[in-house]
Amino acid sequence: MNILDHPILGKVEAAKRKVTLFVNGRSIEAYEGQPIAAALMAVGIKSFRQTARKQQDRGIFCGIGRCTDCMMTVNGEPNVRTCVTPVAEGMIVETQIGLGSWREIPHE
Amino acid sequence: MTETNKKEVIICRCEDVSEAEIKQAIAEGFTTINAIKKRLRAGMGLCQGRTCQKLVARIIAQETGKSMEEILLPTTRPPVRPIVMGAFEGEDK
Amino acid sequence: MNKVELAVIGAGPAGLAAAIEAAQLGVKVVVFDENAQPGGQLFKQIHKFFGSREHKAGTRGFRIGQELLAQTEQLGVKVNLGSTVFGLDKRNLWVLKDGRTEVFQTDAVIVATGASENALAFKGSTLPGVMTAGAAQTFINLHRVLPGKKVLMVGSGNVGLIVSYQLMQAGAEVVGLVEAAPQIGGYGVHAAKIKRAGVPLFLGHTITEAIGEHQVESAVLTKLNGRFQPIPGSEKTLEADTICIAVGLTPMMELARMAGAEFKYAPQMGGHVPIINDNMETSIAGMFVAGDVCGVEEASSAMEEGRLAGVTAAEYLEYVDGIAAADRKALIREQLSAIRNGTFGKAHPRDEVKEENIYGLKSSGTPSKDELDSCPGVPSKERLAKGPVAVIECVQEIPCNPCEQACPRGAIKVGKPITSLPQLTENVCNGCASCVTACPGLAIVTVDRTYDENKALVTFPYEYLPLPETGAIVDAVNRQGEKICSGQVVKVRNNKKADGTVAISLAVPEEYAMEVRSMAKGGTK
Repeated sequence: MNILDHPILGKVEAAKRKVTLFVNGRSIEAYEGQPIAAALMAVGIKSFRQTARKQQDRGIFCGIGRCTDCMMTVNGEPNVRTCVTPVAEGMIVETQIGLGSWREIPHE
Repeated sequence: MTETNKKEVIICRCEDVSEAEIKQAIAEGFTTINAIKKRLRAGMGLCQGRTCQKLVARIIAQETGKSMEEILLPTTRPPVRPIVMGAFEGEDK
Repeated sequence: MNKVELAVIGAGPAGLAAAIEAAQLGVKVVVFDENAQPGGQLFKQIHKFFGSREHKAGTRGFRIGQELLAQTEQLGVKVNLGSTVFGLDKRNLWVLKDGRTEVFQTDAVIVATGASENALAFKGSTLPGVMTAGAAQTFINLHRVLPGKKVLMVGSGNVGLIVSYQLMQAGAEVVGLVEAAPQIGGYGVHAAKIKRAGVPLFLGHTITEAIGEHQVESAVLTKLNGRFQPIPGSEKTLEADTICIAVGLTPMMELARMAGAEFKYAPQMGGHVPIINDNMETSIAGMFVAGDVCGVEEASSAMEEGRLAGVTAAEYLEYVDGIAAADRKALIREQLSAIRNGTFGKAHPRDEVKEENIYGLKSSGTPSKDELDSCPGVPSKERLAKGPVAVIECVQEIPCNPCEQACPRGAIKVGKPITSLPQLTENVCNGCASCVTACPGLAIVTVDRTYDENKALVTFPYEYLPLPETGAIVDAVNRQGEKICSGQVVKVRNNKKADGTVAISLAVPEEYAMEVRSMAKGGTK
């Protein structure tokens, strides 16, 4: 969940803009500027993809874009490191199976 | 995760390589980081060994008695970070 | 081909400090950092730093980061963010930005790429919910999101201890901290903070399994014997939805290695580190290093090393002559050795520190009776009977002295070296509690045994939400986080100068005056 108030960091600014993402078809809210992984974490989504060889769940591990555990398919593009990629309005985020595949997402 | 998978200790998170598989390879004579990488793909996944290298080294050290220093001798080739292939388009080299 | 005079790789504390120092001497500096935000790990550090008051001790890490950034702006240092240096040779940097690559030709390079967190493997260690302590810290302090509600921390070095505290500040419950060794690895005062908050410490234990279908649901801990082997039958299962791994860092030296710099293996510094002279220069002329990349230490020493590298680079580029450079370097080296006197400095590699009598605060996070009885910061029974006075329970040598300057009456002396335990001049102290909120280790309280007929007033530092209301009755806890009595909140002081450290005054039964050291988070356990 989002940490709206904090003893040292204070309150999250009320003016912070929100955007909508579609995660496996479900719409969720995110704060502008947040990495995709933070938006997912805020609503309790922990499993981001499944490994190719043994179909195991993966989520956040290093949190800073080095380990590649957190990759998902974003707007049709696979292997996007969600912990270092900021959210954008209307982003389509999907659980990635294995190394994923490229495909066109029809844009409105 | 399947039942068998739950009892495994996974060392290479990218390629799902377990501790047991690594020990087996060492017993078969694959006793360096590069040899394990080529035999099992541990360290060849998307993170290129950044996460598992020290773990693999420690298992090699335990099983062979070699020192961590000897096993971990750094050999790094560019690129040292994940890069999209398209970035190389249009380069003169 | 782009030309850069001095390229600094990494915009963390070492890199920024290096850039500032070099720029002050006239060098044109460009800093490259792969992240979208500068500051490296600095902006995630919301606690107050140790060190000397003259060099930002008592200031929260992220504020130091803000100051460094402001200075780089003032000096016209260019900071290229989102710029990944993926190749380095003696004079060229290969950089990726926005999907395009560029080569930069440089006259000198400072590599300040830091260190990365080590992984740990056990059954179920790949389950979502298992992450590094740094990952948790990034999410709670930068992105303002909690990774889970019940966290198990593995590792009791400074990272594990500090992140456990920060997780509680963010609103999570830390269900336990696991350490394989029989004593804690980090500073005793960091452990004391989490003990007061009631976090169980499992020393001499390891995690053997993370259980869950698609994410962590519980964790199994096992006791270790004298040879660090798990003892069958000693398993304990704890409910947890997050497991944080804090088992050390390894220098990220790939670039320096690629460029051909010589290395040595130093396990106490985290692994292979570049061989350097005392000017921070590698075996390659014109290539310098600073910070965790040349040995894992702390942010404060990273900044001083950065400054040293910056001066040396400026000297190499002939912006300053040898004599002026030597003067500047001497000042920096003095500062560096003052910080390094403590247990975690590179001057005292961990495997050379004699593990003599590890007991009390350093061992378990709770000071022993002996330590308190012989502590120069703890006042005598006679003084305590006379009225409000500070009780400085600082019993481990830490390079740290903000308490000295915080006291408006000069009643606290640390002196030199700054690792000296603070001495209290008890008859000069009037118990005003200025030191209570200044101490980065939160190791000071004031006690007034004369407050009321059979009540004493204990004033302690508090950095959690919610803050209690004046008049509220709360659970008063001892150093181990156990409720020992109830207390009434008499005052809640939240001074701007204390930057988030609140002083809470609790009226408690007189006999507990020297036991009560905090209150239960949220008021009741």
